[in-house]
Amino acid sequence: MLVLSRQRDESIIIGDNIVVTIVDIRGDKVRLGIEAPTEIPVHRREVFEAIQRENLQASRMQPRDVSSLRHAPSTRHAPKDD
Amino acid sequence: MEIQSTRFGTVEIADDDVIRFAEGLPGFQECHAWVLLADGRNATLAWLQSVDHAEVAFAVVSPSRYVAGYRLHVARRELEPLEIKDLHAARVLVILGKSGRSLTLNLKAPLVINLDRRLGRQVIANGDLPVQHEVLGPAARKRIA
Repeated sequence: MLVLSRQRDESIIIGDNIVVTIVDIRGDKVRLGIEAPTEIPVHRREVFEAIQRENLQASRMQPRDVSSLRHAPSTRHAPKDD
Repeated sequence: MEIQSTRFGTVEIADDDVIRFAEGLPGFQECHAWVLLADGRNATLAWLQSVDHAEVAFAVVSPSRYVAGYRLHVARRELEPLEIKDLHAARVLVILGKSGRSLTLNLKAPLVINLDRRLGRQVIANGDLPVQHEVLGPAARKRIA
């Protein structure tokens, strides 16, 4: 892993279009500012990994797994979409 | 064109039924082309089926049907690749999962789809939301059985 020392308000640039700036440092917490093209997803790693795990599990759902959904409490009675 | 689905067999779709997820979904980065299939038995349910991977499909529902007052809050940058100006122009769906014997909704990472432009993205919603929000617990399922 590349390790760089940076102070508050200093940045690193990744490629030619991703800039990560140290916005604030307080105790053991660092605030980062990230400028990246919108087509590049930027997420907290643990959140991304939780979604990845959930997607992998959800992708194995079969029609029989969801057949009980019609018994779930609904906010509406008539079948109608948004 | 015809696509293959392990759940639904061979399905005939039109070219413009395809919805493109430019960066795939987390865990399925290689799946860019998807199609929404209606569920024959449950009108509230649809399946987001991968066009290229027959075994990959997600059961999806409209979150507002199961979560009263549901409203998606998401950073604007998340929506920019979808070419939608505001969320009213978009279709928001959430993925069904299960936890033990409970059915759950992934409220943390809903799917936002621009139906006109056929573009989709799984976004990460702002706020402390669960990836497994229980909609039907084991007790309720037992009562039904």
